[in-house]
Amino acid sequence: MRTCPYCAFVNREGILFCEECGQPFVGSQALLATSQLANEERSTMRGRVTWGTARFDRRASVVVHVRGAEEPLTLIPKDEIVLGRSDAHSRIVPDVDMAPFGAAEQGVSRRHAVIRRGEDTLTLVDLGSTNGTHLNGQRLIPHQPRVLRDGDEIRMGKLVFHIFFKE
Amino acid sequence: MTSELSRNLYAILGVPAEATQDDIREAYRIAARRFHPDANPNEGADIQFRDIAAAYEVLGNPQQRRSYDEERRARGEEPNYFSLRVTPSKRVLNALEEPQVLYLLLEITPVREVAKQLQKREVPLNLTLVLDRSKSMKGLRLDKLKIAAHQIIESLSDADRLAMVSFSDRAEVMIPAGPVTDKTALRAQVNLMRADGGTEIFHGLQAGVDECRKNLSDHFVNHVILLTDGRTFGEEERALELAEKMAVEGIGISAMGIGEEWNDEFLDALASRTGGTSTYINSPNAVVRFLNDRVRSLGDTLVERLQLCVAPDADIEIESLFKLQPNPQPLDVAPQPVPLGSLEFNRTLSVLVQLQMPPSKRSGFRTVARIDVTGRVLIAEHRSYKVLSDISVEIAENPPPEDPPLPILDALGKLTLYRIQEKAQQSLQQGNVVEATRRLENLATRLLASGQDELAQMAIIEARRVASTNLLSEEGRKTLKFGTRKLLSQPDPKENGQ
Repeated sequence: MRTCPYCAFVNREGILFCEECGQPFVGSQALLATSQLANEERSTMRGRVTWGTARFDRRASVVVHVRGAEEPLTLIPKDEIVLGRSDAHSRIVPDVDMAPFGAAEQGVSRRHAVIRRGEDTLTLVDLGSTNGTHLNGQRLIPHQPRVLRDGDEIRMGKLVFHIFFKE
Repeated sequence: MTSELSRNLYAILGVPAEATQDDIREAYRIAARRFHPDANPNEGADIQFRDIAAAYEVLGNPQQRRSYDEERRARGEEPNYFSLRVTPSKRVLNALEEPQVLYLLLEITPVREVAKQLQKREVPLNLTLVLDRSKSMKGLRLDKLKIAAHQIIESLSDADRLAMVSFSDRAEVMIPAGPVTDKTALRAQVNLMRADGGTEIFHGLQAGVDECRKNLSDHFVNHVILLTDGRTFGEEERALELAEKMAVEGIGISAMGIGEEWNDEFLDALASRTGGTSTYINSPNAVVRFLNDRVRSLGDTLVERLQLCVAPDADIEIESLFKLQPNPQPLDVAPQPVPLGSLEFNRTLSVLVQLQMPPSKRSGFRTVARIDVTGRVLIAEHRSYKVLSDISVEIAENPPPEDPPLPILDALGKLTLYRIQEKAQQSLQQGNVVEATRRLENLATRLLASGQDELAQMAIIEARRVASTNLLSEEGRKTLKFGTRKLLSQPDPKENGQ
């Protein structure tokens, strides 16, 4: 089986283009080389290109470092980690509570995004938040999973943080 | 109409002509184990097994075999008319405990010497035009249609046969089937067409087929071109049944839809029943070109009633069949044999087969499928000619990486776009708007990456429309469907240095 590096859809062996999103799996050929170049160009234009691994060991933990914060948070991943902010009125308490980092002022929704653990990857999914989630400068389409890589930059509203994988 | 079936019984059993009776018995035993209906549920396998059994009946009996050999010698070397080349996406598969996908690219190519022969000798057409003259055709559409009909009349010769039927609520024979002699009179008939009434495709098609049947003969390429801009109600099943009959009789259909209203699924089904094509014409101006192109390519026919039979081994599944070139068209996996239409003397016809291989930990060679293509060769008194290919692959532990053949990669890259578009529509039909939007967004991303900016724009617009209204526009839906399909017949824009 082969997990698509773009949309995390699990394809059968032998599939040459992701059946869900069309991402090519073999790169050296002319047709594909051009299309991949176009992708890279877009990511350089819009944000930082990361080259970290997408492989996430099941025993690893996730480190969340909010920009400007002194101490990073270390999380032992469950199947789903909800990112958001708690507030006094609703009883919603996300797994990662951004309220101490000024989340409300920065436009973070109560249930903003979720990190899901797959076979050997992590994916980030925006939960239809008010101000959107950006991954390395690219805005996510709500409810569409994207694979996370070590060192990725996530922006929820105006709140920026980085994700690191720790073995 | 009956014609001798040209076939090499030795090839069907997969043995050389000098094989011993023991060799022949053994070859039959192996083939029976692969394709006997008790062992293999595939429809194609059943067809292959009948061929194999018939071949064994002759070759397995020394006396019958002797007379077959003599007959073969007397007939002399059978010329080759067309060839079948099969390329798998991988030659060595990894031994895995999970199912995997294997693609086969089939290329059916006319043999060059034969093609040259045809260039000197035109095959006459028995052509029937079935044209929609419902009220919605009024104005530019009907004007262009008349121009196209005039040009077609002009391009035909005395040897050809032409009929023309126009239909709205009822069908009317404008030009009864006959030779194209008095072109002025025929053109005048075309001019009498007036737009009025609704769209009853079945009646038009029925009247058209009746006209076409009057000159139905193996000496012609028998074809009906249907052009409509509307939706027919209630009679679709009967039209499809008629198409099945037409396939048996040897009449092909090209179905063309103009504008946004017509039912593309219906026209697709209609065309695929006879191995024909269906096309979306987005502007009235394109009508003339589309019709003329179609008639011209009919005149290039070398082989008629081309049929494909795919018999995978019992543990392998056919997931899909798609005709890539010319005139890209999805094909039904069943019933077999699958009609492919006609083979033109100067063009290769290619089909992509998607198979699912079973989990397998055993290394070594294994058979995958037996594929044959049959067709009637117009320059050989319409004799039936068959080519056959038996495909095997190797299975090994961790084989070295292998780049898939470029033609497969190229075709699949484009076909994937068509499939995403299809999936987006499926999600929408199931009411999953979020998924449909996501798939359209993905489609737009991929289209942009392959330089198809216009289609990508359309996908983005439709994604937004779906997100806010839960609906695709008919124009957008058809443009994306036929636009992505058409990519298969176009070279990559980047390769042309765009």
